[in-house]
Amino acid sequence: MAKFKSSAIDCGVVEAVQTQAFDVVVIGGGPAGMAAALAAHKAGARVAIVEREQHLGGILRQCIHPGFGLSHFKQELTGPEYAQRFIDQVHATDIALFLNSMVIGIDSGEPAEDTAVHTVTLMSPTGMLQLTGRAVVLAMGCRERTRSEIKIPGSRPAGMFTAGLAQRYINIENLKPGSRAVILGSGDIGLIMARRCTLEGISVEGVYELMPYANGLRRNVKNCLDDFGIPLHLSTTVTRVIGHDRVEAVEVSQVDERLASIAGTERIVPCDTLLLSVGLIPENELSVAAGVELDPRTRGAVVDQSLQTGVPGIFACGNVLHVHDLADNVTTESERAGAAAAAYALGGGAETNAVADTSCELTVSPAGIAGYALPGRITAVALTKLNFRVRRPVDTARVRILANGEEVFAGKVRAFKPSVMESFPLPAKVIQRALDLGASEIVLSVDPVEEA
Amino acid sequence: MAETFDIAIVGAGITGCAIARQLARYDLSICVVEAANDIALGASKANGGLVHAGYDPAPGTVKAQVNARGCELYGTWAQELGFLFRRTGSMVLGFNDEDRAHLEQLRSNGLVNGVPELSIVGPDRIHELEPRASADATCALWCPSTGFVDPFEVAIAALENAVANGVTFMRSAPVEAIEVAGSGDDARFTLATPASNVRCRYLINAAGNGAADISHMAGAEEFQMVWRQGNIVVLEKEPRTLMPLYPVPTPVSKGVIVTGTVHGNTVITATAAVREPGDTQTYAADVNALLTGAHKLVPDLDTRRVVRAFAGGRPVIQGTNDFFIGQSAVVPGLFQAAGIQSPGVASAPAIAERMELVMREAGVALRERADWNPIRHAPDDFDRTPLARKEELIESDPAWGQIVCRCETVPEAEIVAAIRRRPGAVSVEGVKRRCRAGMGRCQSGFCQSRVVAILARELGCDPSEVLLEDTGSWLVEGPLKGVR
Repeated sequence: MAKFKSSAIDCGVVEAVQTQAFDVVVIGGGPAGMAAALAAHKAGARVAIVEREQHLGGILRQCIHPGFGLSHFKQELTGPEYAQRFIDQVHATDIALFLNSMVIGIDSGEPAEDTAVHTVTLMSPTGMLQLTGRAVVLAMGCRERTRSEIKIPGSRPAGMFTAGLAQRYINIENLKPGSRAVILGSGDIGLIMARRCTLEGISVEGVYELMPYANGLRRNVKNCLDDFGIPLHLSTTVTRVIGHDRVEAVEVSQVDERLASIAGTERIVPCDTLLLSVGLIPENELSVAAGVELDPRTRGAVVDQSLQTGVPGIFACGNVLHVHDLADNVTTESERAGAAAAAYALGGGAETNAVADTSCELTVSPAGIAGYALPGRITAVALTKLNFRVRRPVDTARVRILANGEEVFAGKVRAFKPSVMESFPLPAKVIQRALDLGASEIVLSVDPVEEA
Repeated sequence: MAETFDIAIVGAGITGCAIARQLARYDLSICVVEAANDIALGASKANGGLVHAGYDPAPGTVKAQVNARGCELYGTWAQELGFLFRRTGSMVLGFNDEDRAHLEQLRSNGLVNGVPELSIVGPDRIHELEPRASADATCALWCPSTGFVDPFEVAIAALENAVANGVTFMRSAPVEAIEVAGSGDDARFTLATPASNVRCRYLINAAGNGAADISHMAGAEEFQMVWRQGNIVVLEKEPRTLMPLYPVPTPVSKGVIVTGTVHGNTVITATAAVREPGDTQTYAADVNALLTGAHKLVPDLDTRRVVRAFAGGRPVIQGTNDFFIGQSAVVPGLFQAAGIQSPGVASAPAIAERMELVMREAGVALRERADWNPIRHAPDDFDRTPLARKEELIESDPAWGQIVCRCETVPEAEIVAAIRRRPGAVSVEGVKRRCRAGMGRCQSGFCQSRVVAILARELGCDPSEVLLEDTGSWLVEGPLKGVR
């Protein structure tokens, strides 16, 4: 694929800039970056974290609601509390922190060299700096999808915010973004902001959802909408923004099964604020510039079972890899990436990394109602964690693994929801079976089944 | 209260700003009077930024006379005024014999209009010039002189240069009435605006979609403006900037054009539909037409990656498709630059040149000033700056290393500079137009609250007083709890 070259990333290795050497350089100091750094440090690597903000914690700093830590700490914490546990751990180590620092490029040398050292160029108010690392962990997180990307027609007044921006105004800046809000999108951030707005005296006129089901976790629908009497309008979307200077109203319309708006169902909802919670996009501009191949389905890197990207020594984890719904899952995944990055850095290259087996080279593709499958490549015959998300909710379906058209594994029949990122352990013997069949690809298919 | 000038220019769009810049070299006191709170907030902002070459207008029209000349002048203007301009050349793609006949017609128009180096090329050459052009194109009009700019950057650069040469800029000053005294009066025109009156000897009407109103207020030519609305879509940056690709034009517009921008994005421009004056809404049907039209020209275009969709109105004078540039036949001393629809951006430098000529011929005394400086230095654009210079900047002020807008790599110092320049930004969108903070893929999701804080600090106001654009476009109501 074409290498993206932006003017910001035209820097190679520059002579004059000061350089510091590490085994593992982690880009991003949110939950993913901190977990990866701690795991790499635990494995004996010299680790650096580069973070754009002045503080570690990433987006968790503004997620002041509870619901974090239930699986990782067996305890319900707020976002800042969850982050603080990792911040404290990081501070207790000698992990080098480069805060208020923005990475402007990653130079990986010649891709053919397994022993290549990556050079990460960063800048901060104190100047430019280069960090070298045998391994790099990408943990930059994601951004929110905008009004333009979902092509809502109408005017362009003040008062349209992504839910995360409104959350920042309210929780960090102590500023009230409006008085009367409509929320588009029933993803978790939208649901949580519906409650947050209500608690702060901003009237929420309703949450509108294009799909015929809520996109957020069930517990959030209950705790954030039902408990506050906020209506959720399914199969309904905003079809026009009204107001020249500030939002004055939105037009909402019902949609048919093809998600096209139905003429005659338009309704005007007066409001001064429109919050958008319409999806998250991994922030991979830096990855692409570094030569990392992306999966068009996740818009994150194509990785192998150790979360290594196509560029040797560059790993990815957290929301920059694929969008998670729980920070706890980000932590678990990122610990794997950090450990694998340390093993790579300390082991001296791909051959000694984990149990890489030159005879195993399988690609993984989604089928049926699976929206994606991760990792996209399997290079070792070992128990492998497969992640996927379904594209629509089903009450009864099963996971099937196919190789050369033959079913090599079938899971239990159960319900699946798009709001849940699924994790599925793929046994080593299934991978071996696929190889024995001479397959170069295994297919993860989630297929609805008729109830008996 | 009334200030008196030799010349008042109504409208700080690209036309008014270009004229102000052109006349600033003369020993004249000049004022640019703008209804909005910033430069280029009308048609100049809602524009695809193409510097059309000039083969399109019918020979003999005013458009035909200023378009090719404007396109030619852009090289010098870009150099002197420090704005980005890329002359990539363009192709009008034809898909059948009928199209080829159209291309021949455009080519002969172009020859008459003075457009250089036009040629009709075949599939191989099309592919060589723009590998992403549709393989279905059988022929194309290749025009090497076409280019593109950031239209508001041109207007801002021109007015900054004019102001540096002594021109006064009055913003948020909508003209509500015009009094006209006798023709011998040194302050013949009195423009009433809410804050103050402006008196001038000569009046230039460059009011864009408001030009008919200004002409009417002055008792000059009566004409009607038609709001020929166009939707435009901006896509994310591409590894390689696309050359402008045009379809064969329709009688009212150039059709859906795909072009690169000076910042490496792709723009799809523009639909054409007569709508209610002032309607800047985007429409689903228009946006779909843009995406469909673009795919016809560039089949592999990833139209999911929309950064922004917007719309504006072309200031068209009813009953003519042409520009009206000249002295009023009814009210001498009033000079009109009206009906500046497409190709207004491409023509702007030549419209200014022509306006100067018209005024000279009308007897306006134009004495060159010894101290006129044609050069405007562009502010440092951190993202485009070489590494060594980046280091210098950060060393000079740590705020250059404080990145506020992540998508476009805009540091705090660049935002502060945008606010402090003269005329500076007074709104979040004004900052965006000057230094691109908030113009990227996340559309200010990460940086808006930070830009608001910087604007509040620099303008000495409360965040609740910071505007997205103009009056009424408040972003936050104020503090949530009484802890401030």
